[in-house]
Amino acid sequence: MSAIDDLAAELAKLPGIGKKTAMRLTYHLLKQPSDRSLRLAQALEVLAERVHPCPRCHNLTEQDLCAICSDPRRDASVICAVEEASDIWAIERSGEYRGVYHVLGGRLSPLDGVSASDLTVNHLVERVAAGEVREVIMATNPSVEGEATALLVQQALGAAPVRVSRIARGLPMGGDLEYADGVTIAQALVARRDMVQDSR
Amino acid sequence: MEAPARTTDVRPVAARLQRLVIRDFRNLADVTLVVPPGGLALVGDNGHGKTNLLEAVYYLHLFRSLRGARDVELVRFGATTFHIGAEAAGARRDRLSVGFEKETGRRRILLDGVPCPRVSDALGALPSVAFSPADVALVAGGPGGRRHWLDVTLASTSARYLGSLRDYRAALSQRNAALRARSRSSPPAVWEPAMAEHGAALRLARAEFIDWARPRVTESGMSLGERGLVEARYRCGDPLLPGATLDDAREAIAATLAAGRDRDLERGSTLQGPHRDDIEIRLDGVSLRRYGSAGQQRTAAIALRLLECAWYRERGGTEPVLLLDDPVAELDRGRAARVLAAITAREGGQVLLAVPRADDIPAALTALPRFRVRDGTISPWSDADA
Repeated sequence: MSAIDDLAAELAKLPGIGKKTAMRLTYHLLKQPSDRSLRLAQALEVLAERVHPCPRCHNLTEQDLCAICSDPRRDASVICAVEEASDIWAIERSGEYRGVYHVLGGRLSPLDGVSASDLTVNHLVERVAAGEVREVIMATNPSVEGEATALLVQQALGAAPVRVSRIARGLPMGGDLEYADGVTIAQALVARRDMVQDSR
Repeated sequence: MEAPARTTDVRPVAARLQRLVIRDFRNLADVTLVVPPGGLALVGDNGHGKTNLLEAVYYLHLFRSLRGARDVELVRFGATTFHIGAEAAGARRDRLSVGFEKETGRRRILLDGVPCPRVSDALGALPSVAFSPADVALVAGGPGGRRHWLDVTLASTSARYLGSLRDYRAALSQRNAALRARSRSSPPAVWEPAMAEHGAALRLARAEFIDWARPRVTESGMSLGERGLVEARYRCGDPLLPGATLDDAREAIAATLAAGRDRDLERGSTLQGPHRDDIEIRLDGVSLRRYGSAGQQRTAAIALRLLECAWYRERGGTEPVLLLDDPVAELDRGRAARVLAAITAREGGQVLLAVPRADDIPAALTALPRFRVRDGTISPWSDADA
């Protein structure tokens, strides 16, 4: 196998990249100055060597503790449990959350051979048992698997004196009803709320 | 919480296929057909492509094969992709197109030229109901066929039902996998709330449908000439009392699943739940599935198809296109005449009829323009064909 085929085959394994795109990217890299390609190679090397899961929350980091865990301004008494480290980025974008995180490392799916022991559930239970945690927010995806994972965590936390909450699901803010898909609208209708009068 | 009942005084619009283009679907290599407003009659020997054409039209309703085939099996032998395109009036969309590529397994649906990545949003784009002699299995066969029919009918008119069905099936598969895994770190119980929640929505919708259907099935039975009383009953694993709420249904499913967990663990499968429910069709209190004659079963199956039409008309607001594949084959003359009268007693609905010979065209449908089907090609009828 040639070096070109080799790289194209590796690129094609990335999500969202098919054979054709992989080839196009490979030829693009060959066309540009070689120092640029080397910079990409170095970045990949550093990524693979230095980035590791945070020992506290399993977020990805190059430091001993991730930037969120080591930030004294974050409220360590609230833990938001997510499926993947990339979900943290999504929640951080909101700028609203000041607590810390716990990355479960996936979601329960016996069909794919993923059980609780493949997730970091036990570690989360240990974190809560160590004290000082008031609330665990379950922010797994609103899918059947995400719901079951949330339930599993809730059961694992069992008797711990901690509030366990679940993020809401429904229509996206700023969205247009016209463009929402039918299942989401149906779900939002089922989960509709009474409008409470302000009693001040 | 249920959505408020829909008003039914809105006059249904008849969906009409105006132009149909088929490429490499089954044995149809290249078909372009302008469909007259009232419909047409396809005449041709068996194996030449009549049913395939009806199947192509039905594909624009369910986006699945009428005969349960996988998409790869629908691509014409030696071809790489199939494509079905249609122009329609009275349906939710004016232009529909679907293409499937065998090698990548990719399917692309365009509605009015806009890609529709979710098949759930395309369901019922051009509503149709297919009648075929194989329908007898709906009555004579096992519960799976009837449940499938019920699920398809309800999912075609309700995004919520479809969503519940998808989530229920996902939770059921996961629970079954957990039962087989027999591992403490994969407890089956965590899948039960989802099964109970989505299963309850399925059961309430099914029960509502059967309540709606009951007088209609009885009426159809009479108009089709059954002398006894034809009844439809929902056979639900945890009987729903009249007025049962979503919470009642959910608790019943949750309790049944919890109670059956040990037995399910032994068998490695979920033995009770909405995925085992059935509809029973009875004649004078006796199961037609077990004791009905072939003719009675055929008639009851046609009553179910008529029910499907009425549901799309009343709930979907659209009179579906009727796909009649040799609908009265093997029926005695009296039954055949009554069946056709019932099928065609609709105002202005479009009919696509397929029969082996021109003299098989029932009297009620002789006015339909005729087309000859031979070796996967469709041509206007000429006197030489007679």
